[in-house]
Amino acid sequence: MDEINVLQGVLNGLTCAGWYVLVAVGLSLVLSIMNIVQLSHGEIYMIGAYVVYYFCVNLGISFYLGFVIAVLASGLLGIVLERVFFRPFRGKPDQALVLSIGLILVFQNIVLAIAGGTPKSYRSPFEGVVKIGSLALSTERLVIIIAGFVLIGALFLFIRFAKNGQAMLAISQDREGAALQGININRLSAIAMFVGCALAGVAGGLVGALFTLTPTMGATVLMKGIAVIILGGLGSISGAVLGGLIIGLIDGLVPVVTSSYMASLIGFAIVILILLFRPRGLWGHE
Amino acid sequence: MSSRKAAGFGATILLVLALVLVGLFVKGPYILHVFILIMMRVVLASSLRLINLSGQLSLAHGGLVTLGAYTSALLAMKLGFSTWLALLVAGVLAGLVSCLIGFPFTRLKGIYFTMVSIFFVQIIVLTVQQWRGLTGGASGLYNIPRPDGFWGIEFKSKTSFFFLMLIVMLASLLIMWAIERSRVGMTFLGIRQADSLAESVGINTTGFKVLAFSIGGFFAGLVGGFYAHYVSALDPTAFGFLFTIYILIYMIVGGAGAFAGPIIGATLLTVLPEVARPLESYMPFVFAAILMLIIFLMPEGLVGLPQRLNRLFRKTAKDQADVAG
Repeated sequence: MDEINVLQGVLNGLTCAGWYVLVAVGLSLVLSIMNIVQLSHGEIYMIGAYVVYYFCVNLGISFYLGFVIAVLASGLLGIVLERVFFRPFRGKPDQALVLSIGLILVFQNIVLAIAGGTPKSYRSPFEGVVKIGSLALSTERLVIIIAGFVLIGALFLFIRFAKNGQAMLAISQDREGAALQGININRLSAIAMFVGCALAGVAGGLVGALFTLTPTMGATVLMKGIAVIILGGLGSISGAVLGGLIIGLIDGLVPVVTSSYMASLIGFAIVILILLFRPRGLWGHE
Repeated sequence: MSSRKAAGFGATILLVLALVLVGLFVKGPYILHVFILIMMRVVLASSLRLINLSGQLSLAHGGLVTLGAYTSALLAMKLGFSTWLALLVAGVLAGLVSCLIGFPFTRLKGIYFTMVSIFFVQIIVLTVQQWRGLTGGASGLYNIPRPDGFWGIEFKSKTSFFFLMLIVMLASLLIMWAIERSRVGMTFLGIRQADSLAESVGINTTGFKVLAFSIGGFFAGLVGGFYAHYVSALDPTAFGFLFTIYILIYMIVGGAGAFAGPIIGATLLTVLPEVARPLESYMPFVFAAILMLIIFLMPEGLVGLPQRLNRLFRKTAKDQADVAG
């Protein structure tokens, strides 16, 4: 019986891991390419979920169409944010951070004004339950795990093999050196924001079906994302995956024994320990 | 004393006198309440600026205020502490906790520090929500005792709270001003300007950063405690992430570079929602818009406005003189 609970906890943990990694990778990408802590990243996730809700429930068209539009819209929003708000403050990370705090208020207020404060919910078309032995995992959770790991795998391949990906790597290692080699930092910052925000939109669209939507739903996700990238190492994609797995498994397994509150507390304690003994994170360099 | 200094000194005296007159002659509870709110936020934004002097932008303030508020309320309610002692303990505890979390947090510099400091708010709010036996959980605490009376002063009316908060604010600002002018304050500034240089000339940068964070935490806890006894009810989300963001906005909009900055920011941005009631549901948007305008157009904050206008007038005067000449 216990063993089954633990395995079930692992499955839930993997779901959380897929979810957190999708959000954290965007934060990490923006941090390493643009040297900006984008605190309104959680709101991009929230907007992704609301766009799906709008197409799914308000217009009653289809989840899939809504999902595609949500991902594109989040990505484009990312490009706009980069161009309008973050590009003028390159090299002034403090001011960019405060601006992103302002954006939190803007996005929350706009969604609140349009959609209202009452919690919303929609159903994804991934119904049913997958059974493995005596373990059960709902299909929509399975989709999150798969989407998380497939997309992050694709991002790895992009960074490893595509020319733009290699350029991103170069910028994250040495911004000025990369610029001197003729790498267009403006264009790559826009690409990084597009990819990062689109991934947050994917997370929002898929995870939104599991919970209710509120305009403030981004805050929790932001906290998880920050924990993940500190744990894994700031600005490292592989670190974000490792950190996402650890924080995800804690959130899946600890509630089996005690409560989800303890899971948050343990996650926090681990972050503090990492900061004390290995501030560059588990996977970080320098 | 230079004329500028004298002018600043005179203006301060006049402001304090004006506040005393407000306390003596204004009887409307609503107006007094707004004034009390302003004074609380002035102390909070100024203490945030004190932390910022050492180059750290903290987003942990809401957590420290919550900690102070619950500590003071619970000590007075459950252990029968005198409210004054409870208030003091609340401030000291918030300072100590800042010191403890300061050591791991200051391992990270600049924006990374800001990023982790957000965690603290979430952990404190979650803890207060979960620890139902002690804190009343999500429904909060009620009937928190009012401050004990002394010398025949009873703390019941808004006027008495107004004067209490006025004294707390003036004392806090005086202490913060003295710290900023002292050697310690100079060291903070040195660390902000050149962290590794300060370290290389033998300054314990971690120690000073943690010190700044702890002093800021003390004042946050103190104001939290005052709030608990003033409103006499608490709920765990009163000082969450959004509250913390607002304190930061007061500081940035007023101007983090000058002592008067957070005072101006907190005052104007507390009055604004009161006079612009029809816009109430769009207030976060308005605040964000003001914040962005300031960052884009006037990064030094509203305190820089007179100087900018002055320069502008002089320039137009000169242009006209050029045209005439």
